[in-house]
Amino acid sequence: MTYLRQLRAVIRKDLIQELRTKQRLATMGGFAVLVGVLFNYAIDQTMVAAQDIASGLIWMTLVFAGIMGVGRTFELEAEDGAFQGVLLSPIPRDALYLGKVTSNFLLVYLVVLLVLGVFGLFFQLQYGNHPFMLLAVLAAGALGFVALATLFGAVSSGTALGETLLPILVFPLLVPMVIYGASATSRLLAGRPIAEVEGNLRMLAAFALVALIAGAGLFRFVVED
Amino acid sequence: MSAAAPELSVGAASASPLPESDAVAPPLTAVQLVRTFGVQRAVDGVSFTLQSGRFLSLFGPNGAGKSTLLRLLSGALRPTSGELRLGEEPLRTREPGWQHRIGVLSHQTFLYGHLTARENLRFFADLYDLDRVDERIDSGLAAVDLSGRGDDQVRTYSRGMRQRLALARTLLHDPDVVLLDEPFTGLDAHASAVLRGVLGALRDGRRTVVMVTHNLSEGLEMADIAAIQVRGRLAFWQEAAGLEGSSFLALYRETVEASA
Repeated sequence: MTYLRQLRAVIRKDLIQELRTKQRLATMGGFAVLVGVLFNYAIDQTMVAAQDIASGLIWMTLVFAGIMGVGRTFELEAEDGAFQGVLLSPIPRDALYLGKVTSNFLLVYLVVLLVLGVFGLFFQLQYGNHPFMLLAVLAAGALGFVALATLFGAVSSGTALGETLLPILVFPLLVPMVIYGASATSRLLAGRPIAEVEGNLRMLAAFALVALIAGAGLFRFVVED
Repeated sequence: MSAAAPELSVGAASASPLPESDAVAPPLTAVQLVRTFGVQRAVDGVSFTLQSGRFLSLFGPNGAGKSTLLRLLSGALRPTSGELRLGEEPLRTREPGWQHRIGVLSHQTFLYGHLTARENLRFFADLYDLDRVDERIDSGLAAVDLSGRGDDQVRTYSRGMRQRLALARTLLHDPDVVLLDEPFTGLDAHASAVLRGVLGALRDGRRTVVMVTHNLSEGLEMADIAAIQVRGRLAFWQEAAGLEGSSFLALYRETVEASA
């Protein structure tokens, strides 16, 4: 019960902060809309079918917008030493990590839904025959991404390079996830059967699980002296 | 596991606003505490025993390692070598048991500006798994004279109001050991008076307090023990009862110059 209470407190605090500042949602949402607008003009849809490139665009937007949002997690925590106060409290570090992952995931997934909406609007994107499977694939991908980015966000926030370091640390580790995720998304958007993407979804879920376990175990070594 | 509920008296700062409990903490002992940053020894072989219920004011010039010593006591930093003990037991400052027993007030408030005072206190109450949260929050806000502003976001507060709220956060979980790092920095007269009232009430005989300050008269007025740290070492440690402001100033200068 104590663990859940502490976990819930971190999630609630992060979401209240975000609802009031809207810093990260505005940055990530703005980027997602901008990508939609730019590619709408950049692509000659008489030559290239939007449906064919949508998967890559969705995952690119997820990763770059996510980096912008998650990278700021610990910058917000630095305000007046607030994170130091949290670290002086008895909250287990894995609860702190999982709380931050959950709140980051909710924000990133909200942006994923926005991306789907924007692409539907600009490119008349069809979501295939299994839209819930598509949402599940993107959820697994977003969770894996957030699990890694939150851990490395804590690493980079403690360095002089700050947010600049985050993509350098995270992108190489995201490659397998993006390959499986973009492939599954592409097939689902093309209306292929679920059986063709089940393996990819399992890989994405395994990636997210490993990232979560590693992050929960390593977080204390990152944030403590 | 929920921490025991303290009894909080609601009212003016001077009317004993602090949690009351009969439990007395064992003495806090540092043994040859060393903390280095690269080649620099910020804390250099500090040893002391502070009996429970005593108020230690720690003075010293900038860069003497006072804040580092406080961070070692809080568990925010690990010592490079040496040991902390609470009674006879080696102190594991990273364990929840110790974190429940200490409260830290720094010149940084550890508060979230976009949360209200109540939301900040509720957040920390949840992290400490406290019971009777609303009662504690009401009492804490009353103790620091902020009852009327509890639902305002902290970013709208003045520096003094933030520091008072930070004090309420520090005492929310009824700590046995209170660590204060320059608590009066940047405060106006009213905020200083409220803070002084609450800190004065900390001298209840069961709570051990360590306060780092540059203000000699204020520190001396509250202290049971006055200490001076220079270049990472404790160069002076004495009962404060026999010390006077002007003579202590001369003693302070002499100690700092002799150790520099």
